Amino acid sequence: MTVFEQTLSRRTAIGGAAAAGAAAVLATGTPARADTKFHPAVEPGVEFVEEPATDPAAGLLPADPLLHLLRRATYGPSPASIAEIRRLGADAWLDRQLNPASIADPVADELLARLPLSGLSIAEIRARVAAGQLKQYDWTPMWQLSFAAAARAIWSERQLAEVMVDFWANHLNVTCPFGDVWDSRTDYDRTVIREHALGTFAGLLKASARHPAMLTYLDNRFSTRLAPNENYGRELLELHTVGLEYTESDVKDAAKLLTGLTVDNATGAYRYDAANHVTGPVRILGFTHDNATTTGGEAAALALLDHLALHPSTARRIATKLCVRFVADEPPAGLVTKLVKVYLDNRSAIVPVLRALFTSVEFAASAGAKTRTPLEDLAATVRILGYGPPPSGTKTFESLYWMARNAGQAPMNWGPPNGYPDVAAAWASPSGLLVRWNFHLSIAAGTWPADLVRPADLLTGMIGGRPAGYGALIDATAERLLGVRLGPAQTAALAAFYGKTPASQLKSNDPAVGWTYPYLMAMLLNSPNFALR
Amino acid sequence: MRAVTCCDDNRLSRRSVLRAGALAGLAGSLLDTRLAYAADPAYDGDVLVLLSLRGGFDGLSAVVPAGDPAYYAARPTIAVPKSQLIGGGTFFGLHPALAPLLPYWTSGRLAAVHAVGQPAPNRSHFSAMEELERAAPGTSLRTGWLSRMLGSFGANDPFDAIAMGTARPARVLAGPAPSLSLTSIDGLALTGDDAAKPVAATMAALYRDAPPALARTAGQLTGALDRGRALRAAGYTPAGGAVYPDTELGRALRDVARLIKADSRLMTATVDSGDWDMHENLGIAAPGRRMHDQLAKLAAAIAAFATDLGTDGLRRVTLITISEFGRRVTQNGSGGLDHGYGNAMFVLGGGVRGGQVYGSWPGLAAGQLRDGDLAVTTDYRAVIGEILRARCGVGDLATVFPGVAASALGLVTAR
Repeated sequence: MTVFEQTLSRRTAIGGAAAAGAAAVLATGTPARADTKFHPAVEPGVEFVEEPATDPAAGLLPADPLLHLLRRATYGPSPASIAEIRRLGADAWLDRQLNPASIADPVADELLARLPLSGLSIAEIRARVAAGQLKQYDWTPMWQLSFAAAARAIWSERQLAEVMVDFWANHLNVTCPFGDVWDSRTDYDRTVIREHALGTFAGLLKASARHPAMLTYLDNRFSTRLAPNENYGRELLELHTVGLEYTESDVKDAAKLLTGLTVDNATGAYRYDAANHVTGPVRILGFTHDNATTTGGEAAALALLDHLALHPSTARRIATKLCVRFVADEPPAGLVTKLVKVYLDNRSAIVPVLRALFTSVEFAASAGAKTRTPLEDLAATVRILGYGPPPSGTKTFESLYWMARNAGQAPMNWGPPNGYPDVAAAWASPSGLLVRWNFHLSIAAGTWPADLVRPADLLTGMIGGRPAGYGALIDATAERLLGVRLGPAQTAALAAFYGKTPASQLKSNDPAVGWTYPYLMAMLLNSPNFALR
Repeated sequence: MRAVTCCDDNRLSRRSVLRAGALAGLAGSLLDTRLAYAADPAYDGDVLVLLSLRGGFDGLSAVVPAGDPAYYAARPTIAVPKSQLIGGGTFFGLHPALAPLLPYWTSGRLAAVHAVGQPAPNRSHFSAMEELERAAPGTSLRTGWLSRMLGSFGANDPFDAIAMGTARPARVLAGPAPSLSLTSIDGLALTGDDAAKPVAATMAALYRDAPPALARTAGQLTGALDRGRALRAAGYTPAGGAVYPDTELGRALRDVARLIKADSRLMTATVDSGDWDMHENLGIAAPGRRMHDQLAKLAAAIAAFATDLGTDGLRRVTLITISEFGRRVTQNGSGGLDHGYGNAMFVLGGGVRGGQVYGSWPGLAAGQLRDGDLAVTTDYRAVIGEILRARCGVGDLATVFPGVAASALGLVTAR
């Protein structure tokens, strides 16, 4: 039994009291009453008799299902999103997030206006080069897209859509920035990933297959009739669709069928080049086609993509991957099977699959089963602190991007075509943890980035005012940032950091409520509680 | 067919000479820092440095079978001409961009093995890498082979095994044996942590009852911070005038050398070198071309590492390069190479009998290929197995590479 399976079995036992208390605290941002019971230590002893191997994750997270949904379907709860989900309830909140066009997003819109090259089309980039406004092979649009990704993850109201954009950008990875896609990577983000993130997978796959960025990144633009280049054909099967179920013959036939899908060197736009298409019958994972004419090659390739998108193995891979992202590193098999059916019944439509996932009992039971990746940790840090973007400029977005990069997970920056790993073990390194601990302090204290909009008085902004003692200060800050209080030993350790005990009185001129308060915030963000998603 | 094998009559006597040399070296420059940490009683083998060439390294460009006419026929625009090869014997020659390594080749501390690879072709980067590092096909083992090697010695300190230059754990080290992944030694510092503000110590307390997976990483970090403090305080200047290139690989190897010299407990280190997936425009052997420049950077970093360690240091180090698969023999229409099979490995170290290419050459003529690729005549695990036996003191290879016998190439002398 894994740690996370143990979590599931214990979860119901820790329920009620913690949920009620945490909910009240997080919704208002004010301290909970001192008599609220949060910690598993207060659970009846009989629970532990039943399960002598105590659940190590128990009590680390608030048991409130609304907060569970927020932690998974967004880049982390923010004070505003907590208030919103309480107002709307889970179903209405999810409906709204699954229809991102319905969500006004003025803050993100304004931030994107500061990064005006991040959404340019290929033609627009080339026009700017022609007009002397950009250099040939200029990376600025790709950098702006990268910085925009960090800003959107933190401040967009369309959180689930942003999470899904990240998910598909990894699934159909085209590394950014990357020199060969200098003119097409921003267009790929807008017209392929964002356009189809909550559409159908078949639509997404076909859009990617006819996009210059993908055709360049996986070399299909260079594939020729006389010597087909197999790179895209292989990754299309292995990574984009069915997984490791192909034969070498499938790869060779796919590579043949995909010849002709290329890029016009003059315009940088997608082009089907019939003269370079290999004709002749193909057989690829149950798909057969006469592929008799060069002019029919594009239609034949699209038919293959439809076949692959609706292949049961693709359905299982996508369903499994979504469960790994949103439910558990080792997803419940029953849930995966259910989602495969939803996927196929809806001809690869993504929204029904997500709705089924987030409303499943398996999802509800999975609290504690996911650990935040570095990018999620970074975004969640700024979000839970409630810090706002600076009123102008882009330096802060750049800083946040470099912080993610230092931690090993800059958005869209994974080099190989398989996308960033999505399981805890892939990120459980001391080096990565160190970067996170360091950015928790620098963000909380405002040293880097220095111009995030923080409360005028940090202590008041976080917990409403100065409590009477160190124990209360630690409890209130933990409740504000984690939704739960820490155990007595942990609380004592944090008090000891200040050379005090939880019972020590807190004076108005103590550094703990002044310049060293961010240390407390950072140490709570460093805690195992915050590391979980 | 070209079989390259040889034998060493003087193995035992050479071994004692090497030992004496190594001890002298330790007694001189290394003893002081060595005493800073408890010596590992379980291990006195070579530090095994595993350099992974990610993306499918084209061994045929690096160690060119110039004597095989099929090589030139298959690669009309990207073959390395005979006239440009260096370090050549009668059949093989090295790519000219490997020039920084030539002194180690000619002095016999660098060797190559050709036509090596996994027992079965696997042309998927991701599953091939996974299998290469798990190295136990047909079994249910989920650990990495380096972790199993560490386990066979009872390694118990995270500093026994370092994945250097990465914020992510190395798959080859996945398993119960402790290991660390470090982006750099200088980066091992926790902001704000000092005697007056003991952040690290407080975090150790906060993680005391955490879920084991989280607690383990946090514990490794707080331990490593202590070690990092000592290493940084000691400072580091590469020896022998070594100049590391300012590349990720250069920086990573510099830190590996730093650990080797400062901390005798290090048993193994892994470093990655990426971007070998050249489906297009691999290029001729000239500056500015992809393969040339990649090889030049690789060679510069390895040469700096060897220079920095010096003759004495290198006596207890063996560096191996591996890659998930080789490239197709025939170039594709994009002037590049699709995924292939058989490959070349490099082995560098004080105990290497270098300056030559080992292995059994299967030939590149149409009938000698495996689905268009260089056939594999030597299992890469057998090559590593020989090194683990002779240089690292692994007695029972079965625990590391189930079902594999060490090669008898005579690639290295016994320690």
